[in-house]
Amino acid sequence: MTTVAAKPGTKSETGRVPASPPMMTPRQVVGRIGFYTLIAFVTAFFALPMLWLLSTPFDDTPTLALSVPDLTLNNFRDLLDNQYALGSLVNSILLSVGTALLVVAFAALAAYSLSRVKIPGRDMLLYALLLLSSIVTGTAAMVPIFLMMFELGLIDSRIGVILVLSGGLLPAAIFILKDFVDTIPKSYEESARVFGASSFQILRHIVVPVIRPGLATIGVWTVVNVWGNFLVPFILLRSTDKQPAAVLMRTFYTEGGSPNLALISTFSLLYSIPVVVMYLFVNRKYGFRFHGGIKS
Amino acid sequence: MAEIELVGLSKVYPGDVRAVDSLDLTIPDHEFFALLGPSGCGKTTLLRTIAGLEAATEGQVRIGGEDVTALPPGKRDLAMVFQDYALFPHMTVVDNIAYPLRVKGKPKDERREAASAAGDELSLSGLMERRPAELSGGQQQRVALARAVACRPRVFLFDEPLSNLDARLRLEARSFLKKLQKELGVTTVFVTHDQAEALAMADRIAVMDKGKIRQVGTPKEVFQRPVNTFVANFIGSTPMNLLPGVVSGDVVQIAGQELPLPADVRDAVSAGQEVVFGARPEYLVFSPSSVPESLQGEVTVVENLGTAALVTLEAEGLSVAVTVPEGAEPELGDKGWVTTTPGRVLIYDGADGELVGSRVPAATAA
Repeated sequence: MTTVAAKPGTKSETGRVPASPPMMTPRQVVGRIGFYTLIAFVTAFFALPMLWLLSTPFDDTPTLALSVPDLTLNNFRDLLDNQYALGSLVNSILLSVGTALLVVAFAALAAYSLSRVKIPGRDMLLYALLLLSSIVTGTAAMVPIFLMMFELGLIDSRIGVILVLSGGLLPAAIFILKDFVDTIPKSYEESARVFGASSFQILRHIVVPVIRPGLATIGVWTVVNVWGNFLVPFILLRSTDKQPAAVLMRTFYTEGGSPNLALISTFSLLYSIPVVVMYLFVNRKYGFRFHGGIKS
Repeated sequence: MAEIELVGLSKVYPGDVRAVDSLDLTIPDHEFFALLGPSGCGKTTLLRTIAGLEAATEGQVRIGGEDVTALPPGKRDLAMVFQDYALFPHMTVVDNIAYPLRVKGKPKDERREAASAAGDELSLSGLMERRPAELSGGQQQRVALARAVACRPRVFLFDEPLSNLDARLRLEARSFLKKLQKELGVTTVFVTHDQAEALAMADRIAVMDKGKIRQVGTPKEVFQRPVNTFVANFIGSTPMNLLPGVVSGDVVQIAGQELPLPADVRDAVSAGQEVVFGARPEYLVFSPSSVPESLQGEVTVVENLGTAALVTLEAEGLSVAVTVPEGAEPELGDKGWVTTTPGRVLIYDGADGELVGSRVPAATAA
């Protein structure tokens, strides 16, 4: 801003300095300063927890305050001593990848058929499913779901957790994916049909590749949802060695009953890395673009 | 290579919308056939019914003498090019062209070989590894054609193949498409709403309206002797003058004036009959001074057509269009006289719009 203020002087001397930005009034300068200060505060507010998460695991004496750490890797050693810690991360991966595969596969089939087959009340059906889906994995339905899984003999089973989570996520996934399928021009499929392709070939050769960004979106969204879900695995899984990271974290307390900040922060860091890596990978590999092959 | 035969074909949509109405048509082997009509006339529905993308409500589709009405599109041995080309965006050009062969289960080497051969034929050799989005409109169209050519079908179906190209490219594509069809000799049906395109490319044209065929004929027949006022009005880049009049002896009275009745239809009409006097602007002669047996009017519009001008005359509430060669254009507000060319006047029945006296030899000149 100071450079802007200095320019008009040079301009009056030479008289032919080309188009410099117009000078700001004092009122605008104050406004700008206020605006940037506000932005700085907001940024700091959101950055502090992140910085805490990055620094505390390496701190010898972790506290809730953000401080320059006395660098150490002891916290990681302590965490590895916990016999369930790494296993729970593997469990999280199993549950989220399993659910994502199930959701993507079924949502693709359902979205394709719902987009292409006209049945009366289709949109109502979709909206109803979407509304009700929040109940399936919600707190209110936990008792009936527990009873149902008990009858099915799926308590303390990873398959059971995957099925319940898939059921809860599928309606929204179908809803989102149907929008993707709707954007595929019908002429793609008709053209393939004229060449003799079957419905399944059309789905495999044309629909799936074209909506791949949509499938990637659904997959990532499912993984993130399962990764952070506490209630369903907490209720349905009994053995500690089957519990995912989100559930295991609640056991990190000292004998005195206060939270073990060293373990919690270290575990949280490890817990967040896979999701960040996955996001970067998917964004790089699939991006969120549509090639387009229709001249309109 | 095969003949296409449509027998009493109807396509009725829910709500009793007859998109195609009991239609009979035979398209002989090797013919380049155009379905022409305004939008909503059923021409695309007819093409899709031939393809099998729409199920016929009644009647039969026969290809090469075989009844294919109940067969799915893939079993009819035809290839279709869509208006938007429908190239698969995630596949390269070569994969797109080879796709029909992939569906047929041909081995990969054979597929690529056939695809490059078809690509070469349509001068796409340098573009085989690109994706459709990286091609121009004209190149995309050639890829769509190559894909149709590569599967060596008995019948080509083109749905408005040129409508997505810009005007200059369209002219090139016209002659290109016509040449390709003649070389391959594959029976081809193409749909268009552009009468100039149909006249330029087709061996024969069917003019359709409201699900029915109003006239089938060579471009020359359809242009020179439209059999009803609908076709007369639709064909020609400048619409035909259709002037209501009344027969009175050897003349037709039009807007209080008189034009001679062509000698060959004098027996077919009776005095006092209401008729429509049809004459193309190209076949009328403009004169800036009074001449006998002419229609007099005042110049209200002069449109420049390049080598000629289209002059509109107003006469007692009637408009008459006439082309005037360059250099002879009148001024707005001038008086003008219009005479007819013998043998170029068509008389239609005033009641049903059908051509009167159909025994006239069709063409006397080019």
